Amino acid sequence: MRIAIAAIAGTLLALLTSVSVVHYTNASQESPVIKPLYNYGSR
Amino acid sequence: MTDGTTARTRHGAAALTGLVLGLLALGPGLARGFLLSYDMVAVPRQPLTAMTFGLTGTLPRHVPSDVFVAALSAVLPGDLVQKALLLAVFVLGCAGAAALVPTRRLLPRLAAGVCYVWNPYVAERLVLGHWALLLGYAALPWAVAAASTGEAKRVARALVPAAIGGFAAMAIAGLPTLAIAASARGGVSTRSGVSARGGASARGGASVRGGGSASGGLSGPWKRWGRGVAGVVAVVVGSSLPWLVTGWLRPSGVPGAPSAVDAFAPRADTPFGALGSLLLTGGVWNAEVVPKGYGSGVLVFCWASLVVAALAAFAGRVWRADRPAWGVGLAVAAVLGFGVAAFGVVAAPALKGLIELWSGFAVLRDGQQYTAPLVLVIAIGAGLVADVLVRLVQPREKEGADALAGGVAVVVAVLPVVLLPSLALGAGGRLRPVEYPDGWDKARAIVRDDPVRGDVLVLPWATYRAYPWNGGRTSLDALPRYLGRRVVTRDAVVVGSTTVPAEDPVARRLDPVVAGGGPLVPALREAGVRYVAVDAETGPDAPWRARLAGAETMVSGSGLVLYRIPDPARPDEARAPLLPTALSWIVMVTLIAWSFVTQGTTVTRHIPRIPRRGRAP
Repeated sequence: MRIAIAAIAGTLLALLTSVSVVHYTNASQESPVIKPLYNYGSR
Repeated sequence: MTDGTTARTRHGAAALTGLVLGLLALGPGLARGFLLSYDMVAVPRQPLTAMTFGLTGTLPRHVPSDVFVAALSAVLPGDLVQKALLLAVFVLGCAGAAALVPTRRLLPRLAAGVCYVWNPYVAERLVLGHWALLLGYAALPWAVAAASTGEAKRVARALVPAAIGGFAAMAIAGLPTLAIAASARGGVSTRSGVSARGGASARGGASVRGGGSASGGLSGPWKRWGRGVAGVVAVVVGSSLPWLVTGWLRPSGVPGAPSAVDAFAPRADTPFGALGSLLLTGGVWNAEVVPKGYGSGVLVFCWASLVVAALAAFAGRVWRADRPAWGVGLAVAAVLGFGVAAFGVVAAPALKGLIELWSGFAVLRDGQQYTAPLVLVIAIGAGLVADVLVRLVQPREKEGADALAGGVAVVVAVLPVVLLPSLALGAGGRLRPVEYPDGWDKARAIVRDDPVRGDVLVLPWATYRAYPWNGGRTSLDALPRYLGRRVVTRDAVVVGSTTVPAEDPVARRLDPVVAGGGPLVPALREAGVRYVAVDAETGPDAPWRARLAGAETMVSGSGLVLYRIPDPARPDEARAPLLPTALSWIVMVTLIAWSFVTQGTTVTRHIPRIPRRGRAP
């Protein structure tokens, strides 16, 4: 039982890490937004 | 953990974890150079000027944090001071949150510490450059622990980082301590049995003994409760005096600008709407600082699941009779903080009305910052979730169970990092160190060595920049902190299509002149302006050049052009009075010194002594 829990936990963590890295890499490659020069921010 | 491990060692482990997370979050940003990101500006050596103390026209948001930085940068390079302060946020925050989890197991504590310093709240405020606010955020767990004892001296010590941070830091760390002090002492007088047990888990020994004695009926405990709360109030007010006094006595008052409510209201950065985003510790007003990749896909649902589980675990723990002494108070502070944050979303017209009634309510505009106690609740809850999981998979009679239980706790502990990778490596590349262009140093020397009095006006007529030498990243104009004189910028801020009016009376007075198209030199000379510094659009075709005819060019570079105006009039600016300001500083410094005079305690003493039933991971 404990081995099964360990396997599930490890698999879950590995899966989440993979998805996370891919997701982040994809988000980083989006086209940069041209921002106004003197704005504090945007909503 | 082994049996011989002391509480102090566990504290050190959490601090070390915080340091590792800080190093991971800042990443390349730790290289030499200055991180300029939105409201965060660092300079090689920040001078102590009237502006540093909040005596000039701008609101004292930077008081006393700028004084602290200026003092440190007198002995250390400014960029090192900046990095040290940012790392301190991670170390203090992680260690403080870890110590609050009512368990003796290390890994669940670390899970709480990791969750507290690695979440959308920290990521968004870090990129937004709110390092002073984050000092208060890091102080919050320590203040929570201290406030539950009602000992003013301990509270004062715990709130030192928040006192340094100034208004925003004290708002998120100081105000919750009042709720906690009130609820902890109230528990003694009304439910002594409950509080006695709770006190045992949070070094409430003194208060429990005091309440337990109760020989004089209700008057004794209530008197002690009143004294405790009054002490905490005095500490919070005393630690806030430098910005309270200068803000209150500011000659031009505190502008409210109700129109800014919509600009700074929390916004949805997840599929769960603005309120859901706030609950998930994000929801800051500025879309540009949301971590890359956050708020979409399966990851945000995993994060939401963790948050819900953490909230449930915290609620379950607070519901129990042996809850920590700070449990109810922190829960109340979290609910109130969430309510304040939600105010700008669900009742924007009411908030505008309040600001019109009294401009001081403008501090509620950027409501998301007040969710800090909620983030702490979630972090502690995450630690409790890890603790529950460890207990579930750790049969006491089995050999080798520790490794498995530890593994499960590690999974929970690293989840925040896995689910929010874009905080790593300089917040996903948003925090990159840069050096100031050559002309800046030369301009500072010229301005410093000039015996003729007069202000410095900064062009272009705006307060935020996207310097090309800073990678086009938005930052506050650095000249007010770089130069050792009164620097006038147009401090109106533009958010999308909304312009929040300027607060500086000098900027407001000069606005028609500068924003118009006529010659600048005669009007600026009359206004007491000695220098005009142009730190953007410095090309030969810049429109300023023609308008500054009659001014002498002192520095001309691609990063800065400095003009000197001959024979300026003497600057005439109403300032906050010196004497009350000096007294406020004396009170605050004395208060901090007093808190360190006798041996205080740390949250190490809050580590509960729960009887062991097996080996803890």
